[in-house]
Amino acid sequence: MGDKPIWEQIGSSFVQHYYQLFDTDRTQLGAIYIDTSCLTWEGQQFQGKAAIVEKLSSLPFTKIAHSITAQDHQPTTDSCILSMVVGQLKADEDPVMGFHQVFLLKNINDAWVCTNDMFRLALHNSG
Amino acid sequence: MAEKPVWEQIGASFVQHYYQQFDTNRVNLAEIYADTSCLTWEGEGFQGKNAIMGKINSLPFKTIQHIITAQDHQPTIDSCVLSMVVGQLKADEDQVMGFHQMFLLKNVDNKWICSNDVFRLALHNFGS
Repeated sequence: MGDKPIWEQIGSSFVQHYYQLFDTDRTQLGAIYIDTSCLTWEGQQFQGKAAIVEKLSSLPFTKIAHSITAQDHQPTTDSCILSMVVGQLKADEDPVMGFHQVFLLKNINDAWVCTNDMFRLALHNSG
Repeated sequence: MAEKPVWEQIGASFVQHYYQQFDTNRVNLAEIYADTSCLTWEGEGFQGKNAIMGKINSLPFKTIQHIITAQDHQPTIDSCVLSMVVGQLKADEDQVMGFHQMFLLKNVDNKWICSNDVFRLALHNFGS
């Protein structure tokens, strides 16, 4: 880890933490959002920690496992970190599906929070 | 357009402009980047307009066509617009490939520029 840029360390730690929580107990994801955070989930928009956690908690599967194919991180000119994740997920007994997710992370009061989150399944995007 | 939020209009206009330029004459894309812009192209990082355009201009195909499957836009608390695009592209006579791209747009001197750009092919991301 020593020679990785700081934004990459922060971004990849966040990504690991996010999917670990999502796959074990996604009702706890409230900790990473704030009241101005935005989520766009398959084109549907939610704003604020409560609305976001309600959406994530109500997703219609009981177990899920994410695996990450690729992740990229960049610093922004406003001292945020932008992370893009491409991966696969398996929900309950459904077939494995590709997904694509973007996070914007901001340091507020010494904690990194997710201010922007966008998620899309890759289902309709095969060549 | 009147009832769409402003960030969505800005994001959608940018996305349309970007792929139109990319598909017709990608050297023109220089105007959308600044010297602090970052591009990550298939995991490889480039910073600044010159380095980014060096990469984009050297991509090894003559003709390319992008088709957008879905695009999402959000405002950020720093007054930027975050855009995510999922689509397909066809380069020369290669087979159609899926791609993922995201842009962070910032208003600098009354002009929207792309401060962050991340691109990945979806080639290795298919379910079984």
